[in-house]
Amino acid sequence: MDTPGTMIGNVNLKGDYYAAAFCAPEIAAKARAGQFVHVRIDDTRNDWILRRPFSICDTDPEKGTVTIVYKVVGKGTAALSGLRPGSICDIMGPLGSCFTPPPDATPVAVCGGYGAAATFMLTRGKKGVLLLGARSEADVILTDKYEKAGFDVRIATNDGSAGTRGFVTELVPRLLSERPEEKFFFCACGPHPMLMALARLLRELGQSGQLSIDHRMCCGVGSCFACVVKVNDPGSADGWRYARSCAEGPVFNLEDVYTGD
Amino acid sequence: MADLSVDLGKFQLKNPVMTASGTFGYGFEYSRYYDISRLGAVVVKGIRMTPSHGNPTPRVAEVTGGMLNAIGLQGPGVEKFLHGKDYMPFLRKSGATVIVNIWGTTVAEYAEVASRLGAEREGITALEINISCPNVKAGGAAFGTDLKLAAQVVSAVRKATTLPLITKLSPNVTRISDFARAAEENGSDAVSLINTLSAMCIDIETRRPVLANKTGGLSGPAVKPVALRMVYETAQAVRIPIIGMGGIMTGNDAVEFLLAGASAVAVGTANFVDPFAPLKVIDGIDAYLDRHGFKSVRDIVGALA
Repeated sequence: MDTPGTMIGNVNLKGDYYAAAFCAPEIAAKARAGQFVHVRIDDTRNDWILRRPFSICDTDPEKGTVTIVYKVVGKGTAALSGLRPGSICDIMGPLGSCFTPPPDATPVAVCGGYGAAATFMLTRGKKGVLLLGARSEADVILTDKYEKAGFDVRIATNDGSAGTRGFVTELVPRLLSERPEEKFFFCACGPHPMLMALARLLRELGQSGQLSIDHRMCCGVGSCFACVVKVNDPGSADGWRYARSCAEGPVFNLEDVYTGD
Repeated sequence: MADLSVDLGKFQLKNPVMTASGTFGYGFEYSRYYDISRLGAVVVKGIRMTPSHGNPTPRVAEVTGGMLNAIGLQGPGVEKFLHGKDYMPFLRKSGATVIVNIWGTTVAEYAEVASRLGAEREGITALEINISCPNVKAGGAAFGTDLKLAAQVVSAVRKATTLPLITKLSPNVTRISDFARAAEENGSDAVSLINTLSAMCIDIETRRPVLANKTGGLSGPAVKPVALRMVYETAQAVRIPIIGMGGIMTGNDAVEFLLAGASAVAVGTANFVDPFAPLKVIDGIDAYLDRHGFKSVRDIVGALA
């Protein structure tokens, strides 16, 4: 067995999207859908020091490996994309809360872009549905893996280059009208505006679910209060409070999600 | 193994390594990684009378050699801190040496918080008066960058409690040693420095400041030389003990602060990089002392050759 943190693979999925696998037996044994790892990509340098959080896409508890799927968006992810198998990163996890669909409901992953990584481990439970939204075909990833796992995959893109043209939220009422008798549980991860629109829609439709909402993170363990998001709090004068997405989230219950402003 | 215990006048610590306020939550968050009673002290995130939301997001940004933060002192308020299970009741059970960082928006509020904590002081070793947060409009830096106001806050807190007092100083002043002297003259038992340096970064694509608060406090390895110079100057100016901090990542960094005149140190931003950083700093100081044949950490305080 390799040293924990050893990179096993780092492959380009398409465009700026990559999947990296690491040896991390303890994390692989415990990780649940929606949780994340906090990675120090290069601990030899002091010029950029902070860790980067990544959703855990998949694990292999027997081999002791963890896979993350990431998009190159800055210098951290650029450096990560350049690492070769055998490189070692310092990986903390699994961190944060997880999706907990009830056993009698069909899980519906509603994702924006590589948000689909955060819900992939839901495919280990009841056969469900993936509703994936993306800007265009170039940002559609992981759908083959979901299909292989037996999920019903439906896509909406802003430009219509894959699936239907429009927003992913438009796929929700369509699913409900096609399968009116079924009990669904929605598990969402994606950009903030998408999640807020989805939360309002699910409430209007009387559906239940959970949303993975986070913000620019620092410590990853709840100590620094950087990554806060607003959650409903009837006890507060304003009706909301800031919750730490790393420690109290990133997965929040639909009823707790504050959609006010 | 050398003697790591330090004497801060009104109180003693088992070793010189504390956590910097705001970088260690309320201790609970790191207790899943190690026994926090191994630290010299746990300095908790700032407490005022009432709960506060803190600033809008984004609250942090990474910069070369460190980070900016503008959290804005989000907190539970003094009553929840004293009685909420993950706060003081947890800390009492943990066996950690606890220092409570306090702040207010008025001089009276500082005194009131000190008085409330003093009334239920079991498990509290000292208070750290935060007159240096750069990220709140009222309180914080407004007190820490005005000599008269700084003196008033320290004096009011001194009258409100018999708990040992540490005054945490702002580096965003012309001469930090003047503020250290004002703290000493008004009854502070120690000073801690530095808080973060007021700073800014801009996203050139959106042409907006990265932080919602526009400006924030710079911390991390980048600030260490500045902090060290300020500790050194302050050590020449006051007799009360100094707690040095600013960019300490390793035991060797901490040793620099001790040599410059700090009796103890605090680890801040390094907690975000490595949860075990404070323990590694303790071990690093110990290894340095052994390597140089010092029997006690006290032997190197201000011991520049």
